[in-house]
Amino acid sequence: MLSRDRYAARFRRLKEAKQGALMPFTVLGWPDEETSFSIIKTMIDSGASALELGIAFSDPVADGPIIQAAAHKVIENGYTVIQALDLVAMARKYDADIPVGLLVYYNHIMAMGVEKFLEKASACGVDGVLVADLPAESSDEVLSTATAKGISTIFIVSPLTREERLAKIVEHASGFIYLVSRLGVTGVDERNADRDSRLAALIASIKKVTSLPVLAGFGISTPAHAEKMMAFGADGVITGSKIVDLVSKAEPSKMESELSSYLKQMVAALNSVKV
Amino acid sequence: MRTLGKFGRYGGVYVPETLMPALEELEEAFATIVPGEEFKTRLASLLTDYAGRPTPLYHAENLSRKWGAQVFLKREDLLHGGAHKTNNALGQALLSKMMGKERIIAETGAGQHGVACAMSGALLGLKTEVYMGEVDMERQKPNVYRMQLLGTTVHPVKTGSRTLKDAINEALRDWIANLENTHYLLGTVAGPHPFPSMVKYFQKIIGEEASAQIQEKTARQPDYVVACVGGGSNAIGIFAEFIDKPSVQLVGVEPAGKGLDTDKHGAVLALGSFGCVHGMKSLVLQTKEGQIQEAHSISAGLDYPSVGPEHAFLKDTGRARYESATDEEALSAFHELCREEGIIPALESSHALFIGKRLAQGEAAGKSIVINLSGRGDKDLHEVMKHVK
Repeated sequence: MLSRDRYAARFRRLKEAKQGALMPFTVLGWPDEETSFSIIKTMIDSGASALELGIAFSDPVADGPIIQAAAHKVIENGYTVIQALDLVAMARKYDADIPVGLLVYYNHIMAMGVEKFLEKASACGVDGVLVADLPAESSDEVLSTATAKGISTIFIVSPLTREERLAKIVEHASGFIYLVSRLGVTGVDERNADRDSRLAALIASIKKVTSLPVLAGFGISTPAHAEKMMAFGADGVITGSKIVDLVSKAEPSKMESELSSYLKQMVAALNSVKV
Repeated sequence: MRTLGKFGRYGGVYVPETLMPALEELEEAFATIVPGEEFKTRLASLLTDYAGRPTPLYHAENLSRKWGAQVFLKREDLLHGGAHKTNNALGQALLSKMMGKERIIAETGAGQHGVACAMSGALLGLKTEVYMGEVDMERQKPNVYRMQLLGTTVHPVKTGSRTLKDAINEALRDWIANLENTHYLLGTVAGPHPFPSMVKYFQKIIGEEASAQIQEKTARQPDYVVACVGGGSNAIGIFAEFIDKPSVQLVGVEPAGKGLDTDKHGAVLALGSFGCVHGMKSLVLQTKEGQIQEAHSISAGLDYPSVGPEHAFLKDTGRARYESATDEEALSAFHELCREEGIIPALESSHALFIGKRLAQGEAAGKSIVINLSGRGDKDLHEVMKHVK
């Protein structure tokens, strides 16, 4: 299947079933390759609609302390970018249809070369790439290559993105829109009710200019958060720091069951609200 | 944005979308407020009456005699705060005030930029918070106390290498979360556009003064201008005025740490490769697959694994050349300036002094050399005394 079709097919099916998408995130190779693969399999088996998988970078400026610590651990272990991409290929073998997005910092792409990196990603079954530090202004450096390889280019919209920028972003975006639902970096901090109240209007304004699904991330860690985002008109949520936090605190023997139970609660929440 | 601030293939804007509104706002303010009469008048008056500009250009006769060339020191060490960092901190703090921001945040390595921000924040009534790597806090304790005395909160950074690069990451994260009321007062000519251009704008006064002063003293322009390079703000500051004067040789000096043949150095221009970090493309010390490596230098202010994009560009075009000095060489120059001229230089500036000496004793014999004495060394006494046997 052409990779961008996996996003389209999955989102179409969710829409028909009136369900919200759950897109869990983890850092590839964390805390080690074997556990990382079992986290990914648990995500798939517990009802994840799509996956967002991060490549560990030494200087992840968009990430809060939980994902930073995970990334640093992966690097300390000597786990490489190539190994991370090969782990994506293992996930792809485990599930042929689930859309898989890669979260990567631009330096890793530059180090390998845009062409070579995206070729490898495509060969490993990656459907979309979100380059955390590549704003729309600078994105022409990867856009055409990604398009040629059938890889969707995911872009972020934030609560402070103004209309002119939004137009520029949706022009380049494919797959889905990653809505940063609160200011700041990734994490599990308290949400701000006053700011949340403005999200419905923001989602509506995104939907006015694109038909791509809008998934809310950043600070989404509970079923209540997921319900809230759905009520605001989002098509689903992305949850990452909570997963890393949960796995690091769980006893190894209970990790899979605790992760699975959390993910299933999230799925239930997402399915209970859909308009 | 109005432009992407490229220097050849370097520079640009490589940041998370969440930061773009802040950069757009800052670029707009830099283009509209900074050239205005009100801003220019207020900054000029602060630089003169508060900070003590112009700083002298001192003809170091003892060194000149000993080294065999005419050595001139641009005395940024005499600027209020003890280093050139005050030029930029005052400029950006005034700009943030006029933009209506209530809070400034900054990263600091040696602590000089942090102190300059702390002074500027106290003066202009801006709440000031500084991120500083734990390792640097230990190396530069007096500057931590100075910031605290000036009313600044210093946040220890405990991630990664716990030095300047990680302090920049933390400051960027803070800015992403608080960009509506906060200005990130970046201290060097690095980071995403507009910082490299804006910091250069506030530092180019060093070269403007030096050019006029040496003209006054010797009736000609210098043969060499030498400055140390970490991020590169004092070097860009003194180079800027001379870039279009082809007879003037521009020499930047990087920290060679324990030697270029070891992994303990910060010689990014000599040994780094093309990459992307902290919002810019530049040369970077990194692994083959793109993890950023730690730099090493005896001077915390040069301990940075990338460099301002314009330096990478000046190197590629050949307009400037870049040498390096080891920890030991910088220390020897440090002691020499103390003994010969009665001036205690910053360890950062001591790197430039060492290469100035080597030039004087070689290809620049009998020529005139301007060395940027970018800061004073009081902050380094603890570090230096560890090496005095």
